[in-house]
Amino acid sequence: MRDFVVPDTNTRIVGSVELEYAFKLTAHYDPPQESHTPRGTFRYQDIVSGEMSGERVTAAVYPDSGGQYDTVRADRIRDVDAHFMLKTDNGEWIYMEHVGYRRTDGYYRAIAYVETDLKGAYEWMNNTTFVVTAKESADQREVVFYYYIAN
Amino acid sequence: MSSPSAHDESISRRSFLGGATTAGAVALSGLKLSQAAGAEPATHPGNEPLPPTWFEGPDAGIPKLGLRWAFSARVFFADRVMINTMDSPAGRGYTSVGGGDIWGPRLQGRVLPHSGADYYKTTFTTYYMLQAADGALIFIHNRGTMRRFAGPYERGKPLLPPPAPPAKQDTVYTRFRATPVFTAPLGPHDWMNRTVFVANSVRQANPDHTVFTYYEVL
Repeated sequence: MRDFVVPDTNTRIVGSVELEYAFKLTAHYDPPQESHTPRGTFRYQDIVSGEMSGERVTAAVYPDSGGQYDTVRADRIRDVDAHFMLKTDNGEWIYMEHVGYRRTDGYYRAIAYVETDLKGAYEWMNNTTFVVTAKESADQREVVFYYYIAN
Repeated sequence: MSSPSAHDESISRRSFLGGATTAGAVALSGLKLSQAAGAEPATHPGNEPLPPTWFEGPDAGIPKLGLRWAFSARVFFADRVMINTMDSPAGRGYTSVGGGDIWGPRLQGRVLPHSGADYYKTTFTTYYMLQAADGALIFIHNRGTMRRFAGPYERGKPLLPPPAPPAKQDTVYTRFRATPVFTAPLGPHDWMNRTVFVANSVRQANPDHTVFTYYEVL
């Protein structure tokens, strides 16, 4: 390995992150379908519908536009991988991706990556990091996601 | 580890790229001393934990979300290359990771030198390796977002767009956030495999590097 020395620079920089609540999404799913794979238990769940609401956005999940493509690992933690589309109240499209973990202790957190129309009313959501906390119903058919902006 | 010929090749590749690298990167490539994994650099502000900060929504039905400082990293970049240009749909950047150091309450160590890069497209997408003080190798896949505003965020106030040029840009605030996914070995660092993180990122000059402040999402 080539050598590298850390140069002397100012390290007294602690950058903060402030979360700002933005909106929630109540999503409805078909029952999960599980299959055994070399990586663990693959868990597919079709997203059927959903409503997104907040001060700056009103949108609905575009039915059957995707869902959860999670993997339940050997340690029973679920690697969350979700992709789906929403349509806003004025007809614009939103692409939504979630990456995170759903643990058995109730911790369900994710980062949401959002893409919207560059010329649309929801352009403010682009290039924004959202931190998500989620609550799953006992039958796992309804999940409420709460999105905070990482400012 | 690398053979003399491979080493020579890397030197010549670096010389070739010299015109494209920043002054800081050129200065770094000349450094020969190595920093052992886990060595405690004298300049660090400390690894003492900080209390978590909790955030809430406008009504009590919205679950609170907490952030707690986990660790910080300084990452020094080396080569800067672009395939096409960033304003082309095919624009892809390559910025290699030279090395760096890690401090904080939950992880100490270093950025494994020359272990990867930022292969950015519209925003950054990095893949490289961290090495904890106990020698453990931790893979980081870090995605980022960047957006410019008229001024920094203040709680309860909306962020406003930056003034359009030719207006002065010197007070423009860049919100630069990173979201890493770690793959850590089983053992003391396994918590990183089941925790969501968000980071504040600040780019620094002389020499060119970025300071990442990683928070665990509680």
